[in-house]
Amino acid sequence: MTVRIERNGSRRFRAAALAGTAALALVLSACGSDNNAGSGTTSAPTSAPTSESPAATSESPAATSESPAATGSGAPPAVEMTGDKAAVKVGMAYDVGGRGDQSFNDSAARGLDKAKAAGVTIVNEIEATATDTDAQREDRLRQLAEGGANVVIAVGFAYEPALAKAAPDYPDVHFAIIDDATLCDPAAKGGPVKNVACLTFAEEQGSYLVGVAAALKSKTGKIGFVGGVNTPLIQKFQAGFEAGVKATKADDTVTPKYITEPPDFSGFNDPGKGETIAKGMYDGGSDIVYAAAGGSGAGVFKAAKAAKGWGIGVDSDQYNAPTLSAVKDVILTSMVKNVDVAVWDDIAGAVNGKPLTGQHVYDLKVGGVGYATSGGFVDDIVPQLEAAKAKIISGEIKVPSTVG
Amino acid sequence: MAHPADPPPGDPVEPPPVTRGAGAPPAVQLTGITKRFPGVVANSDITFTVARGTVHALVGENGAGKSTLMKTLYGMHRPDEGSIEVDGRPVTFHSPADAIAAGIGMVHQHFMLADNLTVWENIVLGSEPVNGVRLDSRSAIDKIRALGTSYGLTVDPERLVESLGVGERQRVEIIKVLYRGAKILILDEPTAVLVPQEVDELFGNLRELKSEGLTIIFISHKLDEVRAIADEITVIRRGTTVGTADPKAVTNSQLAEMMVGSELPVPELRDSTVTDRVVLDLAGVTVVDGDGRPVLTDITAAIHAGEVLGIAGVEGNGQAELVDAIMGIRPISAGRVELAGVDVTKLSTLRRREAGIGFIPEDRHRQGLILEGTLWENRILGHQTRPPSARGFRLNRSGARKDTQRIVDEYDVRTPGIEVKANSLSGGNQQKLIVGREMSGDPVLLIASHPTRGVDVGAQAAIWEHLRRAREAGLAVLLISADLEELIGMSDTLTVILRGKLAGSYDPAAVTPEQLGIAMTGGDLGQVAS
Amino acid sequence: MTNSRRFWLAVAAPLGALVVAFIVTTLVLLLTGSNPFDAYAALGGAFKTPRIVVNTVNTATTYYLAAVAVAIGFKMNLFNIGVDGQYRLAAMLAAAFAGGAFMSGLPSVLRIILTLAAAMAVGAAWAGIAAFLKATRGVSEVISTIMLNAIATALIAYLLAPGRLAIAQGNNVLTQPITEGGYLPNIDIPGSSSQLYTLIFLAALVGLGYWWVLNRTVFGFSIKATGLSETSAVASGISVKRMVVSAMLLSGAIAGLVGMPELLNGDTHAYSLNFPAGIGFTGIAIALLGRNHPVGMVFSALLWSALDSSSNSLQGAGVPKELVTIMQGVMLFAVVIAYEVVRRYRLVLEQKAVARTLAAARTTGDPNEVAAR
Repeated sequence: MTVRIERNGSRRFRAAALAGTAALALVLSACGSDNNAGSGTTSAPTSAPTSESPAATSESPAATSESPAATGSGAPPAVEMTGDKAAVKVGMAYDVGGRGDQSFNDSAARGLDKAKAAGVTIVNEIEATATDTDAQREDRLRQLAEGGANVVIAVGFAYEPALAKAAPDYPDVHFAIIDDATLCDPAAKGGPVKNVACLTFAEEQGSYLVGVAAALKSKTGKIGFVGGVNTPLIQKFQAGFEAGVKATKADDTVTPKYITEPPDFSGFNDPGKGETIAKGMYDGGSDIVYAAAGGSGAGVFKAAKAAKGWGIGVDSDQYNAPTLSAVKDVILTSMVKNVDVAVWDDIAGAVNGKPLTGQHVYDLKVGGVGYATSGGFVDDIVPQLEAAKAKIISGEIKVPSTVG
Repeated sequence: MAHPADPPPGDPVEPPPVTRGAGAPPAVQLTGITKRFPGVVANSDITFTVARGTVHALVGENGAGKSTLMKTLYGMHRPDEGSIEVDGRPVTFHSPADAIAAGIGMVHQHFMLADNLTVWENIVLGSEPVNGVRLDSRSAIDKIRALGTSYGLTVDPERLVESLGVGERQRVEIIKVLYRGAKILILDEPTAVLVPQEVDELFGNLRELKSEGLTIIFISHKLDEVRAIADEITVIRRGTTVGTADPKAVTNSQLAEMMVGSELPVPELRDSTVTDRVVLDLAGVTVVDGDGRPVLTDITAAIHAGEVLGIAGVEGNGQAELVDAIMGIRPISAGRVELAGVDVTKLSTLRRREAGIGFIPEDRHRQGLILEGTLWENRILGHQTRPPSARGFRLNRSGARKDTQRIVDEYDVRTPGIEVKANSLSGGNQQKLIVGREMSGDPVLLIASHPTRGVDVGAQAAIWEHLRRAREAGLAVLLISADLEELIGMSDTLTVILRGKLAGSYDPAAVTPEQLGIAMTGGDLGQVAS
Repeated sequence: MTNSRRFWLAVAAPLGALVVAFIVTTLVLLLTGSNPFDAYAALGGAFKTPRIVVNTVNTATTYYLAAVAVAIGFKMNLFNIGVDGQYRLAAMLAAAFAGGAFMSGLPSVLRIILTLAAAMAVGAAWAGIAAFLKATRGVSEVISTIMLNAIATALIAYLLAPGRLAIAQGNNVLTQPITEGGYLPNIDIPGSSSQLYTLIFLAALVGLGYWWVLNRTVFGFSIKATGLSETSAVASGISVKRMVVSAMLLSGAIAGLVGMPELLNGDTHAYSLNFPAGIGFTGIAIALLGRNHPVGMVFSALLWSALDSSSNSLQGAGVPKELVTIMQGVMLFAVVIAYEVVRRYRLVLEQKAVARTLAAARTTGDPNEVAAR
């Protein structure tokens, strides 16, 4: 479940390329197959704002499936809409794959759907195409702004150059971009763009926690990491994961492998290759593999099941993903990245007359990332995980976001 | 290969009753056959009657419509108009399978045999005799032996086809057709690939078949042969029948006149123009194939200015390799090629052409033309670096066009203009264009490989005339041909090539086609060697 | 054949293909429950926005260069599938080169020329590997260029990393952006937020050069002759190996230019993870659609790019963006078939014309047959 890459011959590569940009993002969210099922996914934001509540971990899997927020990290507090919902008109620019990719874009779409259910007007949603150039992405943002939207959300860091050009021309429109902070960098030439909010995620922090879980659960001391595409974004997952493993058991080894190199972004949607690589890792003695590889994760879990090892999911609570039900008993935990929360927050801010500006980091502290406890496989180590989480939040542990 | 829909083999061992004579219906009766192809009418209102138990020759020059007519009779396409009757019964053929079912068999000019299979396997291919699920080889071999005995077609059914000579392969093709129960045989230019001795053998077989009551339609344009074998001759010209002739009464020139509407051209040279100036000098030229086997061994020969050297040989004995070696298309492993006193052994094809070699290739579509190019673009081919086609690294389009017009005029290329594509011209006109092109740019040597193959009589005469003029102009000419009449008539000197070696020279004034045929197949012919 | 008939035959194939594509697309729209009228209105309406027109022309510039690169090979039956890898590697290395600190001191014109030259050299060198393999070892260029695409991808992935030839910027990785003077200014178009890429003039020059070389030089003649009949070319003294190598190098050099409009005229002035990929394959489609003709490819590049650029507007009107892909695919398919039909029809017409002309001039007894053998 990931970017659906168009497979029509010659364009495939191109598709893949663009997809790539999207996919990067995707990967983060990799494989959120679980909640795709529409309204069933409604979760944290709309539910009563829950404080971090370790108690949630004790909930049964059945209960969690209704509420993905029930992760070990707890659900992030949702912003309530108190202003005039009718005054806000939202336009959404998806990355390649768009709605239905069961992953990154779908996660963003969930946030949008929640806003719509709450009474906000959706002006339009436009998807990226596989052949996008910066000019076409820019055109997309402009069409949304010119089409009457006063909140425009760009999903994926690929929109950065396009947004940099378009945003200043529409000062009355509030823009947000997921996974990029360049435009909100106070050190940037000419200062940050005023009407842009940058919504980024601390994927390395969540990955650190699942790394701790892997180290605690591994019997062989050999752990694998399968990245979808070798980009800095996925390297953040790797860096956090390795740090978590090493901090827990210094002698454990992590073997990182990436399925493809950019601009070939098919690594986010190639379960076959994911399975092959993971099988190699299990055969080599690894007993836990972290799949930061979007749709390719399904292959990793398949290999895990065959090798009687563990897999770790990404992006959503993959234990609850309907398409992964056959392999859910090997999904130790998942690194959760709540893109829908960011989308909701942005829209809610506009409704409340306080549109977001500047960079917003969705990290452990605010519940933007976390780990899942569905299945109950990590119930016994929750204290260690929570301890690590507390140290990260307090700043005692600094998680690296780059490899090497 | 056999048609997949071939009917089960009939019982050819028992000949059909001989019913020659007044009351019997003709074996084949074609009435008012018209067949149109885009742009041309290939057959127009043809009426053609073949009596049972006879050899009936169908003659006409290349492109006259013989093959089209036979394809109609063999069910390969349907006529636009007209009717077909076999043994008095009207028939409609949708495919060759229908024709075979009606007792018609065709022996193609180009054999369709699998080299790596045995004779009997080739014969039964497509109509395998099955005993249960097992291939019944015994009964097939027996049947083939019986067929051979009754018709005098002797071939060992268990030999591999690759070990057979041309004549034997042809017999296999004939047996294949008989095996499928054919009573009416169409033989398309059966003698084109045979040396004279093999032709005699074939005719013996045909007479045997005829005496057993079979009907044979014999397609040819070789008039001597036709008169020797046929009981009746039908002449076809420009798509329609112009009449029938009695082979015992008609002469070659009368037949030729019916065929082309004028006299047949005769290949012959005028007074000798041979000088003592050597233009092409080959010394010990040896060529090996990809496996290192020699395909051309120690060729030493010289052609003088004003001389035509004819090379006779059964196809595949090294002629193509010899041409390639002289042209520089194929590297030689030993020896030396000298052109007008200059060693060109190491020069590229382009440099050799620039040094004055003109080349009329054996297969003009493969090597001589760009079929999808215009005539003037084809004029440039082979002359792309020289005036009038080029000016430095740039093409001289107007120069090429002007010179193409000259060739069209001088060489009588029948075309509405020089902007038409080469593939819209007839074979003869294409060949005249090539001859004109290769005679341009002051060549000193002309390599003419089968220069009149597949061209009509008019073009043939014209091409011979151009060869004569080239010789008079002092060119050295290397002539390779399968047409022995042409070789004998057009050569100052004749050399036979056999298995990649030159096997003796002959005086064209003294040698006969039969003698050449013996030499070409490796027979001893010492007394007529010059 | 009259001139007007010649003209109509020439445009019959592309027009016929467009009509077929239109019909098929309409059927697809109807079957999927969309209103074809709305879709076409949105498609047409998109081009009332000057920005989209400018974007179309800019993208077409890139597509056209890719198509010419492919067409050079096609002209001699050489399938350079590797244009994609060639342009990406060329763009990446040229971007790193142009972003180098030493460049800032040089005059602007020199910087541009050096960047373009570097891109062409890299493209040619990468294509040259396939040419070398084909000429010396007979390796099919289809296979080798496909593999070289994969190798280019791996090479770029290795080089495009912080500490090597790139820097990190958020989640993106890009070569050091080219400083002012190292990239090209664009042309303002009234009413449009997008500017016209100045490298459109380079593309025009490339098209003109392509036409001139093919039709006016011995080299071009040799390329065409080799493509139409390799055996005839060999017999005519054309060195096929040399032609393979030169055509491949030329194709690679032009491929090197494909990424230049985006690099030197685009906004980022660097090669990043978002750099458009896959244009080499689009180039194959456009060359096919434009029949390798220098002008034909202009139209096909514009058409292709217009469809790509209309995607946002179509989605705005509620039409699935896949419609664009369907139209492009159907068009390509229809064109290939239509050209074959027209080609055969033309041959028949010409043969008939030859036959008629000769029949009129024929004297009795002239034995010449007129039809092609």
